[in-house]
Amino acid sequence: MTGRDILAVAEHREGRVVGATYELVAKGRDLAAATGGSMRVALLGQGVRALAAEIAALGSEILVAEHEALATYTPGGYAQALAAIVSRSEPRVVLFSHTAQGFDLAPRLAAEWNAPVVANCVDLWLENGRLVASRKILNDKLAMELEVTSERPFLVTLRPGSVKPATPASTAGAVVPVSVTVDPANNGSVFVGYEKPQVQDIDISAADIVVSAGRGIQKRENLAMVEELARVLGGVVGASRPLTDMEWLPKTRQVGQSGKTVRPKVYIACGISGAMQHVAGMRDAGLIIAVNTDPSAPIFEVAHYGVVANVLEFVPALVRELKGG
Amino acid sequence: MALNVVVCLKQIPNPDLQFQVSADGKDIRRDALTYKVNGADEYALEEAVRLREKHGGRVTAITAGPRRTEQMLREAMAKGADAAVRVAFEEPAAIDAFQIANILAASIRGRPHDLILTGVQSDDYGHSATGPLLAGFLKLPHASVVTRVQLEDRRARVWRELEGGTEEVVLIPMPALLTVQFGMNQPRYAPLPAIMKASRQPIEEVKSGDLGEPTWDAFRGPYVLSVRKVSHPAAKGRAEMIAGKIVDQAKTVARLLREKGVYRG
Repeated sequence: MTGRDILAVAEHREGRVVGATYELVAKGRDLAAATGGSMRVALLGQGVRALAAEIAALGSEILVAEHEALATYTPGGYAQALAAIVSRSEPRVVLFSHTAQGFDLAPRLAAEWNAPVVANCVDLWLENGRLVASRKILNDKLAMELEVTSERPFLVTLRPGSVKPATPASTAGAVVPVSVTVDPANNGSVFVGYEKPQVQDIDISAADIVVSAGRGIQKRENLAMVEELARVLGGVVGASRPLTDMEWLPKTRQVGQSGKTVRPKVYIACGISGAMQHVAGMRDAGLIIAVNTDPSAPIFEVAHYGVVANVLEFVPALVRELKGG
Repeated sequence: MALNVVVCLKQIPNPDLQFQVSADGKDIRRDALTYKVNGADEYALEEAVRLREKHGGRVTAITAGPRRTEQMLREAMAKGADAAVRVAFEEPAAIDAFQIANILAASIRGRPHDLILTGVQSDDYGHSATGPLLAGFLKLPHASVVTRVQLEDRRARVWRELEGGTEEVVLIPMPALLTVQFGMNQPRYAPLPAIMKASRQPIEEVKSGDLGEPTWDAFRGPYVLSVRKVSHPAAKGRAEMIAGKIVDQAKTVARLLREKGVYRG
C-alpha cells in the first residue's frame, strides 16, 4: 500500500553532493507538508557519511545505504538498493533530479516497478492524491500541465533550477543507516572511470562579457561577425550546443548543462532559442541581451532585454553603432 | 560478429515552428504542422548504420506512430537502415512514454537485437524516458547520454556525457540499450539513388492484434494520465523588448551597453 511519505534520491559524484539534490529536498519537504507524511532522502554509495551529514543538515531524515557495489552509480546497483528501501515503506512520491543520472534511473525503475513516471517537471504538487505536474514542451515554447492518478508510487524527475535549494535547518535530520544487499552481477554495467576534457583554450567562465552564437547564425562563416562583436566589446565567444556539435567551435566554448556555466556581467545570446540545456549555463549572468527572429523563443524568458531580429543583420548593425558612436 | 541493431525513431512537430494551442486547450493545433525526425534520433540512426558498416549485420528502424511516419522510415532506409517497421499506434499527441515504450518492447522482443539505440530525448516532450523504460521492459542493461561506443566481443565500452563536461566510461554487456546524445557523429545525407530505392521498399506494419492484444490500451501503465492544459508560458520575467527597425534596435542596445559601463568606445 502506498503511503504518504516522500523519498528524494540524492546524487553525488567524486565526493560531492550534486547541487540539484538540495532542490529535491526543498520540493520533497513541500510535498510532505501537503501529504502529512515524512520526507526522507536516500543516499546510496560507499564511504558517504560526510555527505550524509551535509544533507542531514538540511533537516530531513536521511537513509544511507552503503555497499561496495554502490561506490559509483549504475542503474542496476541503484535499482537493487532502492527496491530494498521502498519495500520497507512504500512512498507516495519518489523524487529524482532530471540529470544524466536521474533520467537514466527513474524511467527504468518505472518499468521494473510498474509505476508511473513523470519526467522533467518544473513544478509538481498533490491534489486529493493525484499528482499534478507542470512541464515544458516543444523546446520550452509551451507549458503543459498534466495529472496522474495511481495507486502506485509516482516517480518524478525535477528539472534542475526549477525550485530554490533547501538551506540548513536549525535541527539536523537523523542519519539512519540501512543495510541493503546488492549483487554487482546485476548492476547492468561496470564503471570504468571519468574522463575530463583537456582544456587548451580560454576559460569562458572567467570572462566578464560573453557573446554567444547559436543556430541562428546559419553558416560557419557567419561566426566572424559574432567574433567581431566580442572583440569590440572586449569579450569572448561562447556557443550553444548545436554549434559545438557541428564543430564550428571547440567544446570548451559550449555554454550549458553539458558545457560551461558562466556568470559574466554581460551575456549576449545571438540566434539562440534558449532550450533548458543552454539556459542552465547562463541564467545567472548580470545582464542578458537576446537576439532571435522568433518572438516566442524561450530565451526571452530569461533575458533582460530582447531584440526580435535576424542576428545576421542586427550584429553588424550593432558593431557599426559601437564603433561609430 | 554480425550485429543486429534496432534503432527507435520518433517523428515530432518541427520544434522551430511557432505553435498555437488547440481549441480544447489540451494540445497544440495540429492542422498545419510539419513533422521531422527527432534530432537525437538522427544521431542514433547514423550510429546504427556505422556500427553495421564496421561489424556487419542488419539495422532495423522502428517507430510507433501514425501513417505520416512512413516518410521518416523511408528516409531512414535511404540513409542505410535495412528494414523498417511502423507500429500502428495512431494517437497524434502520444504523450505517455510508458505506454509507447511498452508497445515498442512488445514489438522488438521477438526480433534479433544485439543493440537497441534511441535518441537521448525527444524535442517535443523532452521526457528522456522512452529508452530506459524500454530497457526496463526488455530486461536489458542500458546506458544513456552516450557520446561514443566501442564494441569489444560481447560487450560495449560506452562514454556517457554527464553534467559539466565530464564523461563517464562504462562497460555494458550485450544485448544492451543505449540512448544517443546529440553530436555523437555527423549524420549523412541520403544519396538520390538510395532515396529512389527506399521509396519502393516495404514497411512492415505491426498492429496491436499482431501482439496479441485487441487495442493499444493493454499496454498502458497502472495509472490514468490526462493533460489538463497546454498554454504559452506566463509572461513573468519576460525580457523588455526593444522595438524598431534594425538600426534603431542597434542604437538602443549600443546605448544600453554604454550606460551599463560595458562599452566605453
